[in-house]
Amino acid sequence: MKWWTTKANDPTTVVNGNSSFEETVQQSVVLTRMDDLIAWGRQNSIWPFNFGLSCCYVEMATSITSKYDIARFGAEVIRGTPREADMMVVAGTVFIKMAPVIKRLYEQMMAPRWVVAMGACASSGGMYDIYSVVQGVDKFMPVDVYVPGCPPRPDAFLEGIILLRDQVGKEKRPLNWVIGPQGIVKPQMPSQRDLKHDERMRMTEIRPPDTV
Amino acid sequence: MSDPIDIVSELKNKFPDAILMLQPTKDEFPTIWVAAENILKVLVFLKNEVANPYKMLYDLTAIDEQARNHREGQPESRFTVVYQLLSFTRNDYIRVKVPLTSAQPSLTTITKIWPSANWYEREAYDMFGINFEGHPHLTRILMPGTWKGHPLQKCHPARATEMGPFQLPEDKQEEEQNMLKFKPEEWGLDQATGDEEFMFLNLGPQHPGTHGILRLVLQLDGESIVNVVPDIGFHHRGAEKMGERQSWHTYIPYTDRVEYLGGVMNNFPYVMGVEKLAGIPIPDRAKVIRIMLSELFRISSHLVWYGTFAQDLGMMTPVFLTFYDREKLFDIVQAITGDRMHPNWFRIGGVAQDLPIGWEKLVQDFINYFPKRLREYDKMVMKNSIFKARTVGIGVYTTEEAIEWGVTGPGLRATGFEWDFRKKQPYSGYEQFEFDIPTAQNGDCYDRTKVRVEEMRQSIRIIEQCLHNMPEGPYKSDHPATTPPIKKYTLRDIETLINHFLNVTWGPVIPPGEAFCGVEATKGHNGYYLVSDGSTNSYRTRIRTPSFPHMQFVPLISKGYTIADLMSILGSVDYVLSDVDR
Repeated sequence: MKWWTTKANDPTTVVNGNSSFEETVQQSVVLTRMDDLIAWGRQNSIWPFNFGLSCCYVEMATSITSKYDIARFGAEVIRGTPREADMMVVAGTVFIKMAPVIKRLYEQMMAPRWVVAMGACASSGGMYDIYSVVQGVDKFMPVDVYVPGCPPRPDAFLEGIILLRDQVGKEKRPLNWVIGPQGIVKPQMPSQRDLKHDERMRMTEIRPPDTV
Repeated sequence: MSDPIDIVSELKNKFPDAILMLQPTKDEFPTIWVAAENILKVLVFLKNEVANPYKMLYDLTAIDEQARNHREGQPESRFTVVYQLLSFTRNDYIRVKVPLTSAQPSLTTITKIWPSANWYEREAYDMFGINFEGHPHLTRILMPGTWKGHPLQKCHPARATEMGPFQLPEDKQEEEQNMLKFKPEEWGLDQATGDEEFMFLNLGPQHPGTHGILRLVLQLDGESIVNVVPDIGFHHRGAEKMGERQSWHTYIPYTDRVEYLGGVMNNFPYVMGVEKLAGIPIPDRAKVIRIMLSELFRISSHLVWYGTFAQDLGMMTPVFLTFYDREKLFDIVQAITGDRMHPNWFRIGGVAQDLPIGWEKLVQDFINYFPKRLREYDKMVMKNSIFKARTVGIGVYTTEEAIEWGVTGPGLRATGFEWDFRKKQPYSGYEQFEFDIPTAQNGDCYDRTKVRVEEMRQSIRIIEQCLHNMPEGPYKSDHPATTPPIKKYTLRDIETLINHFLNVTWGPVIPPGEAFCGVEATKGHNGYYLVSDGSTNSYRTRIRTPSFPHMQFVPLISKGYTIADLMSILGSVDYVLSDVDR
C-alpha cells in the first residue's frame, strides 16, 4: 500500500501522486497475512490497565496528559478492570503485602497480555532493598519491558511503550485454537544498552549544571 | 514558644513522684520520662486539666533501646514508648517517654483519652511488638497478617536480600488471599440489624478512586455508608528502618519518596532536624532557596490533587490543564535541580548547588502565567454547580474533632481555625515573608478545596518575594560536618586528607542526641524525630506524616453519606498512600 501525507502549511491542491491506475489500486487494496494484520491491530491499540502502585504511577498518568499524550501510540484507552485490559504497567514499588493482589490482578487479565515493569522498584527493587519490598515484580510474574528510572520520565515510559509495540507486532500467536501451530513465539528483543552504547560513548559534553 | 520550665514545674507540683527525669534534647520543648503506672494520669492531666491544655496527640511511637550506647542519665529501658503532644494555646509541644524493661513489653492503652491513639498503638504493636492492654483492636496495621517478627526491632533484618528470595507459590498466594478476607465480626461490625442485612463492599486495594493502594471495607445499608474500615500497609516501604541503615546524607533521597508529590518539601524537615542535632548554621541564601523550592512543590502537589479531585467527581478537563501547568513547574524544577519528582536537592547545611544562571526569568514567567490559570480553574471547577453539589455539606467536621484526631494542614484550616506552622512556628526564615493563612468556615469538602486553591495563590506570593529578595552569599554551610575540606589542601597534610576521606566515604558523625523538626508540608504537618547515637547513621528515624491521622479520620466523616460522597471525601482529604504507610 502506498500513501503520503501533506504538511500542515501545504496548499490543499498539492497532491503527491499521479492518479494512475496502478497508484489507485495500490491505495485501495491491501495484501497481507491474517496473523500480520491481527498483530498490527494489537500493536496499535494496546489497552492499559488503570493500575498504579506508587510514585511511578503519577508519571505514568502524566504520560496520558497533553504534553506527552500516549494516544499518539494508540494506548490511551485506560481500563478500570483487568478483564478488559491488554497491558499491565507495574508502576511503582512491589510491596510484599501487595504481591498476592498484583498476581491475582495479572491472572484476571485475558491473553494476549503484556506486562511493563515501570521504574527501578518494579524492575529490581531499586533503592528499596528493605524487608517489605519484593526485589522486582519478575520474581513472581513475567515481564516484557523494563523501563528504568526513579521514577522514569514520561518520555522514558513512552519509549517503553514503543518497544512493547515492536514486540507485540512481531509476536507469533495462534489464530485460533485449532488453526495453525499452537503456542506463542516471542521475538528476541535486542538489549537497548547494547544498541545505544556507541551513541552514548560518542557523547563527550554534558550540559553544565549552572545554566538553565 | 512558652518557657519549658512552666509545664514541667506544674507537673512536678501535681505529681511529685511521677516524673523520672527531664531529658535534655536539642528541641525547644521539654522531654519528660514518666513511669508506666503513672502515664494515664499524666496524660489526662496534660489533655484536660492543665491550663492551656495539650489537646492534640501529635505522635505516638516507640524506640528499641537495646543497641543504644548513649543514654546518659535516662531510666533503664528496653523499649521506650514516646508520646508527643501539641498544645495550640501554648503553641508548644511536650514529649512524654515511658520506659519498658520487659522483653515482652506491655503498656496500658490511651485510646480512652485520645481515640486517635488507636492506629498509632497498632503501629507500635506491629513494628515493635509492644502490647497495649485494653486496646479495642490490637492487630497488625502495616505488615501483612502472616508476617513473623516486628520490623523496627533491632534484631529484625532490614534488607529484603537478607531474608531469602521472595517466592509466591500457589498455596502461599491462597493463604495471603484468605488473610485479606474481611470478617465483620472481628471488627465488631454487625452482619445485620433487625431484618435488614448489611452489605460489605470491598473498595481497593486496586480502585481508581482510592488514589493508590488503599483498601476500604464499607458496611452499607443500601447506598448509604454505615461504617468504613480502612486497611492500610499495602504501601509500607520501610522508610523508618531505612533511616537506621543509610548514612545521614544518603537518607535524603528516601525522604523525597515519603510523600512523593511533595518532592524537596520532604527533605526539609529531615535536613533541619539533622542541622538541629549537629548545630549547623544555614546561610541565608540556602534558606530562601529552600523556601522557594518548597513552595513550588506545594503548588505542584496541589495541582495534582486539584486535577484528580475534579476528575473523581466526573470532570474530565481540569486534570489535563493542571498537569500541563505542573509540567511548566517541572521545567523550573528541572532547570534548578535536574530532576522532576524526586530531586533530592536539599543537603545537610544547605542545598546541592547554587541556582543556575537565568533562573529568575523562568520563575518570573511562571508568576506572570499562573494566576490567570487559577482564575480559569475557579470558573471551571469552583463555580461549577455540579462540583458544588458533590462537595458542599459533604464530609463535615469541626475544629474540635479535627484537633482530637490529629488533623493538620488545609483540613484543619478549612474548619475556620487559622493555624499554619509557617506562621506559628516559623522555620527557615518564613517569618520574614508576607502571606496570609487561607481559612474557610464549614469544614466540608468544598471548603477544603477552597483553602488549597487559595494556598496556591499565597505560594505564588512567597515565590515572588523569594525572587525579588534572593540574598547573595554561599548556598551551603562551611561547617565541617557538611562540607569536606577543599580538595587541594588534602594533598598537603594528612589530617585534611583523613577528614576529607571520612567525610566523603562514611559521611559526617552527628553528635548523640535527639531532635524533632517539622514543616507545614503539602498535606499537613510533617515531622521528623531523629535520635542520634553518635554515629554515621541515625539510631531511630521517626516520620510523623499528616496523611496517617487523616486516613484514620476518614471513617468518622464518611458515616451516613453515600459511596459517591465517599469519593468526594477521599479526594478532599488529599492523602498519598506513601505518606500514610511510609
